[in-house]
Amino acid sequence: MEAISGFVEGPLLWAAWIVFIGGSIIRLISFFRRAKQRDKIVFQNFRWKYVLLTWLRFLLPFNQTVAKNPVFSILGYVFHLCLIVVPLFIVAHIMYWEESVWGWSWYSLALPDSWTPVLTWIVIGIGAVFFIRRLVRPEVRILSKPGDYLLVIVTILPFLTGFLASHTSFLSDYMRTIHILCGELMLVLIPLTKLSHYMLFFPSRMVIGVEWGRRGYVA
Amino acid sequence: MGQIDTALIKKTLDEKLNARVKTGLDICARCALCADTCHFYRASGNDPQQVPSYKIRWLRELIKRKGKVDEDFLKEMYETVYGQCTMCRRCSLFCPFGIDIASIIGFSRTLLAQQGIMPEGLAKAVENYLASGNQMAITDEDWIETVKWMEEELQEELPGASIPIDKQGADLLYTVNAREPKFYPMDIQLAAKIFYLAGEDWTVSSKPGWDDTNLAMFAGHVQAATHVVDLTRQRALELGVKRVAITECGHAFRSLKFEAPVWLGGPLPFEVVHSVDLFAGYIRSGRIKIREQCFTEPVTYQDPCNVSRNGGLAEQGRYLMKKLCADFRDMMPDHNGNYNYCCCGGGGFIPMAGPFRERRLTGGKVKADQIKATGAKFVVTPCHNCYDQIRDLSEKYELGVKVVQFKEIINDCLIIPDELKAEE
Repeated sequence: MEAISGFVEGPLLWAAWIVFIGGSIIRLISFFRRAKQRDKIVFQNFRWKYVLLTWLRFLLPFNQTVAKNPVFSILGYVFHLCLIVVPLFIVAHIMYWEESVWGWSWYSLALPDSWTPVLTWIVIGIGAVFFIRRLVRPEVRILSKPGDYLLVIVTILPFLTGFLASHTSFLSDYMRTIHILCGELMLVLIPLTKLSHYMLFFPSRMVIGVEWGRRGYVA
Repeated sequence: MGQIDTALIKKTLDEKLNARVKTGLDICARCALCADTCHFYRASGNDPQQVPSYKIRWLRELIKRKGKVDEDFLKEMYETVYGQCTMCRRCSLFCPFGIDIASIIGFSRTLLAQQGIMPEGLAKAVENYLASGNQMAITDEDWIETVKWMEEELQEELPGASIPIDKQGADLLYTVNAREPKFYPMDIQLAAKIFYLAGEDWTVSSKPGWDDTNLAMFAGHVQAATHVVDLTRQRALELGVKRVAITECGHAFRSLKFEAPVWLGGPLPFEVVHSVDLFAGYIRSGRIKIREQCFTEPVTYQDPCNVSRNGGLAEQGRYLMKKLCADFRDMMPDHNGNYNYCCCGGGGFIPMAGPFRERRLTGGKVKADQIKATGAKFVVTPCHNCYDQIRDLSEKYELGVKVVQFKEIINDCLIIPDELKAEE
């Protein structure tokens, strides 16, 4: 077991981060290389005003999509907020970064311990809502491939296993390792799947922002 | 449909698949927020097959199979990409990633067009464009004759007016929809009247390039589409004009102003203006005088997709409506202007004819309901396709509305100085 956990927390973790960061960089560069050659119209009409405003409009809930689907949209925003905040700011994780080769520490920004399970279960709960919505709503189901269902599970798992590892004694000998494996799985899948939207949101909205912008409006 | 050239499909995918289309396909989260943004989806009673993100599945599959598909695949793809989307871009307004579904459909059409697969009506138009430079295969002689005839008629009312042809160094080159000389020559006369009273320094061209419609754009035939805009570009350069104006037509504006720079690789050496913009400018500056709000019937405004959402002229259109109409009733809030629904006549649907006619009338139910809800008796729309479609929708859904273009209403409201009028 120690050999396994040593591997999971050592070389495998390095590999997962490299795939995540390297893969993300490759995808971003690919986008711009292809766009520079085949989407010249975007660069010929580029203005930061169009792009920054459209990014803000959709990063914040100030757009017509939220107006059209307020419940689903707000769930989406809360889900993503917690998804990002929990891994970055819980004490347990900050501790690991401090102890790592990088030695970074940001305890001053740590979440109060009492918040952690709440935010964690928000991610799991909303994730479950997304899963059910995908199964139950015909307009979503028709679009869905097995991968769409699996990715919801892949996203929920680090949170569920994290909770189990820190707040229960379920499979306590293994749960930490399982949790880290789930996290690694997600890291690796991010650049390889639609989860890459975390980063490709920006160039994608940049394009449509320039399209509306060259018509004289921000949407 | 003959042999499928799968190598050509692969080659086009390898060489032409752009970042916008590829990324859109990659990051679509399959969230279905686009579903009820689409008039086809809503008009079908929420049929999941009409979800915009579902309609792009063909290209995704083509890419996955590297072009190795058979006739049946392309036949089914044809039904979707020509028959279930007008490329109006309304869905892109709501997609959290701003995925340009219209471009994905457009590229899908291009791949089909390359294989010679296009709706018959559009294929005929492409043939005409390549042979004669205009959609209707009108000869240059017939075009000039019609122009001269309209000039004569106009001069009976306003002796000082004229329709300059090939005037070197004019400020503005006016282009029309080829339907105008063929079926609606009065449109040319009305435009000329407005230009005369506004003191515009304008001209038309006698040579191919005078038709701005460019249905080849919706056929997906990039080569023909490029040829059409290039003809106008050449005429504009030869005549040394600063601006090219588009008649009250939607896709003509989209074609020359927004797509031509893509096809031709860079910005055009002249400005492209739509009639709505021109007319609004004349009224604002007082170049033409009108009896304000002289049109008193209850009237609504149909935002053509390619003039409002894809043209940026929603505000200008409303300015004109408020100036000309006493009882202007806009369509539902949050569903007008850039967010208005497509009438379902665009994307080439009107010329496609045949089996597509019934589809556009069914898909247009959303627009019919919108119009009904305003209680208007008239619909103003600066687009030839919307014009036809709404006329057909009025018949099918018993809306009892009449469709008019801005030129007609402006003409009714014009204040013409006595000294310009003909002697009684």
